[in-house]
Amino acid sequence: MKRLFTLAIAALFFTSCSDDNEPTETVNPQASGSTRITFDSRIGNADFALNKDFTVDNKTYNFRKLRYWVSNVSLIDDKGAEYKVPDSYYLIEEVGDMDLTGTINDNKNIYPAKKRESVDLTNIPAGTYKSIRFSIGVDQKYNDNLSLVAGELSIANGMSNISWMWHSSYIFSSLTGTVKDAGSTVAFKTETGLNANYKTLTVDLPAPADFSATKEVILNVDITKVFDGIDVAKNPTISALTPALMSTVAENYSAKAISFGSVVK
Amino acid sequence: MRLIKVICFSVIICIAAGCTKQEVNPGPAGYVLPVPEHFPEPVFDTGNPMTAEGIALGRMLFYDARLSGNNKVSCASCHEQKLAFSDGVAFSKAGVAGTELLRHSPALINLAWANNGLFWDGGSTNLESQVFGPLTAHDEMSQDLYELIDELNAVPDYVRHFETAFDDGLTIQNVSKALAQFQRTLISADSRYDRFRLNKPERTLSDIEQRGLELVKQKCQGCHRGELFTDNDYHNNGLDSDFTNTEHEGLYLGRYRISYELADLGKYKTPTLRNTELTAPYMHDGRFGTLEEVVEHYSSGIRNSNTLEPRLPPGGMQLTAADKAAIVSFLKTLTDHSFISNPDLQKP
Repeated sequence: MKRLFTLAIAALFFTSCSDDNEPTETVNPQASGSTRITFDSRIGNADFALNKDFTVDNKTYNFRKLRYWVSNVSLIDDKGAEYKVPDSYYLIEEVGDMDLTGTINDNKNIYPAKKRESVDLTNIPAGTYKSIRFSIGVDQKYNDNLSLVAGELSIANGMSNISWMWHSSYIFSSLTGTVKDAGSTVAFKTETGLNANYKTLTVDLPAPADFSATKEVILNVDITKVFDGIDVAKNPTISALTPALMSTVAENYSAKAISFGSVVK
Repeated sequence: MRLIKVICFSVIICIAAGCTKQEVNPGPAGYVLPVPEHFPEPVFDTGNPMTAEGIALGRMLFYDARLSGNNKVSCASCHEQKLAFSDGVAFSKAGVAGTELLRHSPALINLAWANNGLFWDGGSTNLESQVFGPLTAHDEMSQDLYELIDELNAVPDYVRHFETAFDDGLTIQNVSKALAQFQRTLISADSRYDRFRLNKPERTLSDIEQRGLELVKQKCQGCHRGELFTDNDYHNNGLDSDFTNTEHEGLYLGRYRISYELADLGKYKTPTLRNTELTAPYMHDGRFGTLEEVVEHYSSGIRNSNTLEPRLPPGGMQLTAADKAAIVSFLKTLTDHSFISNPDLQKP
């Protein structure tokens, strides 16, 4: 009896309390898949790179920094059902060592060089998927409340808002460098943010994909399209202070710059 | 055997009871904000439930100069309890840079009800986000967020407090949550006016103060509305008529800086009239030193522009000297001495 009693208690301890606050794992008879989504930055057909001259439409660009938030990723299967990747906030970036000394205080503050263009998705429910949906920027709930964290999103992450504090919200994208036009070179800084500029896009795959057999989906991100319709040499600073230009840039990221590239099996 | 069965059963009940969320996740007990009987229910949904532990931690942080880059400036440097959490100067130089700020430090009063934006232009949606403004601004607390976490981690007492107050312990997000919780306890509702309003026997208002109250109801409470004496909204109260200066990221453009709506040019947040006797100088730029000057502005100093608050006549309210004096007399009845001496709000 005593042994049974102990066993009963032990069983209770081991079973009853474990999962109250954690999501219960769905038992899926089929293997779940994983894949990698790569945001491959390009300048037209060439590979994007920092500190390298690219000439587009008679203007020569030299980039110093590329950063944007990809958020709320979901996968849409061939029946139209949407699988929302939990806590999917990813900071895509390509930056050299950035000296942030003086932006907050005078203490030495170097943000180390980083290139991050891929996002790994795991535990994707089995199925065939025809589209990938995601947003550029941060949705209103999180953008309006800097005390919330989800995935990589945190005020303490590299893109925390230190230049737009009067809005107390995230900078969604930032692209900086220099542009040479008709002999004169100017530094430019193109940033987006604010709730109205949170944009969602859907990229269709040419053929439905089974993510248990798909290693990687590559999306092309044509950085020149970010400036579509804007003369950067004449508008070197785009930010919350230039709302119309900023909204054009945000629209360009979602509607023009990003397209399907290829699938790696 | 029967006894064992009973024991067995009770143990099962105990263990089963131990599985309720509160027990599995031993968090601090919830805190119920004491809402004054004549106030509306506060509405805020920021994912930051108040707890006694969170408030106590927020209070420690509010008064701690570790929060600034040079460890010399705390929130209280510009928000002193004896001045209803304001600072008494138009533009503070108390920040790390020692330079004049460009806007007047607002008084912190009844912030649990301030759910339509913080800062004079509403740039911040809630207290949780707002905290990061003064914390990182180079002319205010000039703090590197990573550095702050290191500094707080070096103090075992802080580590303990964070772990008690929050499931995920010491994080920069929880610094902001704790500060927000403490600031929501800065409730002022016990002035002479309140005692009069609630028919408490010990204090009444004089005839001139009651006359002032009537005038404030007629002339001021369109914007300084209700028992909070603010509508938490944004208005152009005729301080300026020229909005061409776009310096400092549009600092002089009012709420336009945030909304980019032309209709918001020159609009600033309505401050509460509570404790106004203590919160001089007045307006977003502290341009008026006395309540008399403020009342004179509304009487004769209104400057007209496209966005002027429609409740304000472009030529001013043209108040008589007696009315002006009555209004000022009434405003002084909104001073809440128990608020500025409340030991729960003092430096711990």
